[in-house]
Amino acid sequence: MNSNKKFTIMIAGVITVVIFWIGWVSSNPKDEKAMASFISVEKLLNDKMKKRTKLGGLVKDGSIIISETNYLDCSFVLKEGAAELKVKYDRSRPDLFKDGAEVIITGQYLDGTFYADELQTKCASRYEGDLRDESSYKLTEIET
Amino acid sequence: MTPIAGAVALNLAFGFSILSIICLFIFTLNEDKRLFLTGQRLSLGISFFVFLSTFILWYQLIISNFDIDYVARYTSIETPFIYKISALWAGQSGSLLFWLFILSIFATITVLQNQSKHHGLMPWVIISLSIIQLFFLILTNFVTNPFMPTDADFVVANGNGLNPLLQNVTMAIHPPTLYLGYVGFSVPFAFAISALMNRDTSTLWIQSIRRWTLVAWLFLSSGIILGGWWAYQELGWGGYWAWDPVENASFMPWLTATAFLHSIIIQEKKDMLRIWNMALIILTFTLCIFGTFLTRSGVMSSVHSFTASSLGPIFLIFVFLILIISFSLMYLRKSELRSEKRMESFTSRESGFLFNNLVFVVMCFAVFWGTLFPVISETVRGTKITVGPPFFNQINVPIGLILLALTGVGPLLAWRNTSKQSLIKNFTFPILSGLIAAIIFLFIGFRGSVVISFSLSVFVLATISTEFKRGISARTKKFNESIFKALFAMVSKNRSRYGGYIVHVGIVFMFVGFTGHAFDKEKEFSLTKGQSDHVAGYEFTLLKLSETERPNHYAWISDIRVTDNKGEYVTNLYPEKRIYFHKNPDVNRRQPHSELDIYSTLNKDIYSIFSAVDNENGVVFIKIMVNPLVRWVWIGGYILVIGTMIALWPRKD
Repeated sequence: MNSNKKFTIMIAGVITVVIFWIGWVSSNPKDEKAMASFISVEKLLNDKMKKRTKLGGLVKDGSIIISETNYLDCSFVLKEGAAELKVKYDRSRPDLFKDGAEVIITGQYLDGTFYADELQTKCASRYEGDLRDESSYKLTEIET
Repeated sequence: MTPIAGAVALNLAFGFSILSIICLFIFTLNEDKRLFLTGQRLSLGISFFVFLSTFILWYQLIISNFDIDYVARYTSIETPFIYKISALWAGQSGSLLFWLFILSIFATITVLQNQSKHHGLMPWVIISLSIIQLFFLILTNFVTNPFMPTDADFVVANGNGLNPLLQNVTMAIHPPTLYLGYVGFSVPFAFAISALMNRDTSTLWIQSIRRWTLVAWLFLSSGIILGGWWAYQELGWGGYWAWDPVENASFMPWLTATAFLHSIIIQEKKDMLRIWNMALIILTFTLCIFGTFLTRSGVMSSVHSFTASSLGPIFLIFVFLILIISFSLMYLRKSELRSEKRMESFTSRESGFLFNNLVFVVMCFAVFWGTLFPVISETVRGTKITVGPPFFNQINVPIGLILLALTGVGPLLAWRNTSKQSLIKNFTFPILSGLIAAIIFLFIGFRGSVVISFSLSVFVLATISTEFKRGISARTKKFNESIFKALFAMVSKNRSRYGGYIVHVGIVFMFVGFTGHAFDKEKEFSLTKGQSDHVAGYEFTLLKLSETERPNHYAWISDIRVTDNKGEYVTNLYPEKRIYFHKNPDVNRRQPHSELDIYSTLNKDIYSIFSAVDNENGVVFIKIMVNPLVRWVWIGGYILVIGTMIALWPRKD
């Protein structure tokens, strides 16, 4: 066997091993937090999914309850379309978490409550949003 | 008036780019020298008009002309001067113009530098660069124009202001540094395409781009490190790398570029791996554009993403065009790309480089796979499965450790073949050091990949010091020089080699820092004045909670005393809770922000976050993280930059 052939086999071998490795990790991640399915609240409630999921939605107005004994304990209702879900979360909350905020949460559903261990707020619109605040005014308003 | 001039300058640049491409293309057919000169001047013209429009936008940002939508969106009258400057790359249309601006600087340098050099290569180099410029000119002229006026029926008295998170000096310089890297790879890519068009794929094009590649690589590396540093200092999740899609987008071209930097050495020295190098640089450039696609398309949710925009499909089309054209071109030139040289042995420098390359590319694929996994799983299985850092860590830690090992092995192998005696001679000391280190680390109580990583780090440092020692002692014997003189002479005689070794030292430091992550500790708790809590053997006591008002925000400041487990004083931490735009009557437009305080030593960082405050009861909510060895990552970053600079430093002769 000439050396070029040996090298080709060697390279092919390395690539195969790595592809198997990636495939194996993709199907059996060591840490349960490695993966989460991104599904709708409705699907979660219908299927009563027990595995780790990621959900998106809005914080229902007035639904945030912060425990009086432990400020970190908090519960709220996540709304996605018509579907509503009770969520418990006990870590520090992002600065932009409030009524009506768009959030993405990750965690597990158990007996009617979703226990989230990750909570992200989405607020892309804040700085890309419109300029119509108190410092701007409509031209037509001064004209009339 | 001036804003219109900016838009017109962009129009002119667009026109010039088309003319330049046509002129140079005809030149490649009929070889009329005048056409080449015209094309070259037209190309300088593109850059000139891009510079002009960029300076106009900068000027509008500085004078706060809110008639321009972009200025109103990203600055306000109170925005400090430096952030008015950096607002150029804070938003979408501005950052595309900024990209074009850097590309034009590089194109100008390339054209001027090669006026009397590389006559064969230059026409296609300029054509390729002009086409890339044309792409960004189409975007800034017709898709997202930075000179768009503010909605006609509104008068804006003051702008939105810049996001407080972006008001940080690192944040002001991190994107341009990354851009310099991304855009920098356009030049080697243009040379590669030109080499293919000219059917000359030997070593000429490689020699002309080695420095460019190194410069681009330096910027890309520093951009990535600065990004991590900024995230660590500002974002308050206690880490510097989250395997976020946009971080991955910068890491993937870094991996292929690093592979390319190594493999061009083989082509220069041995004229091997022509196809491989061609493919690597094409891939690197494509990944740079793909990175922009990921950032702009809204396909991935990420801290970096801007609002989903129409730019996604356009970028995707551009990415596919680059791939299809470049790889078909390679296919057409396959006979020229074939090299006669063969690998001779596994234990040769060439084969070491080859395997290092393979591992880099494989790692790039792994990151690519993880990044696109949600998209892939959604297409294949119908459910969108998102992957988090544990997934990337599990895949990449072993691959990274193999790379670390190769960093040590490679430099000790000789070209062509390494004899058994020299293998034994070269490897005895490093392997012994690594083994002894492993035993010590096991004895201390470390386990698993931590031990492997630390001992490999020792092994690599031992190989590098062997290399330095060998070079120095050869010189001291031959020229009878002092050690320092010999070291200096040796490094300056062979800058790229020893500069490279210093970069390797930097990488080892960074690996040590990454390994420290395995020992991170964190805890969240609430404190009232005088109360204390414990994390990782430290005691945290709230001494005072004070309030203050500053020009653009209101702040609560905690004064926390930290003592260690022997009760000895360590430091005081002052994390802050701030409300930006606190005077805004619309509560929804006020923005809370946690300003961290970090106590950093070589051994560990104590990282404090002021999550919230309960004013009535004087309770503060604090999150503390104890992160060992983080500083090694930043030190490694500095070493990496110094090493690259040494490799880049021009020779006197």
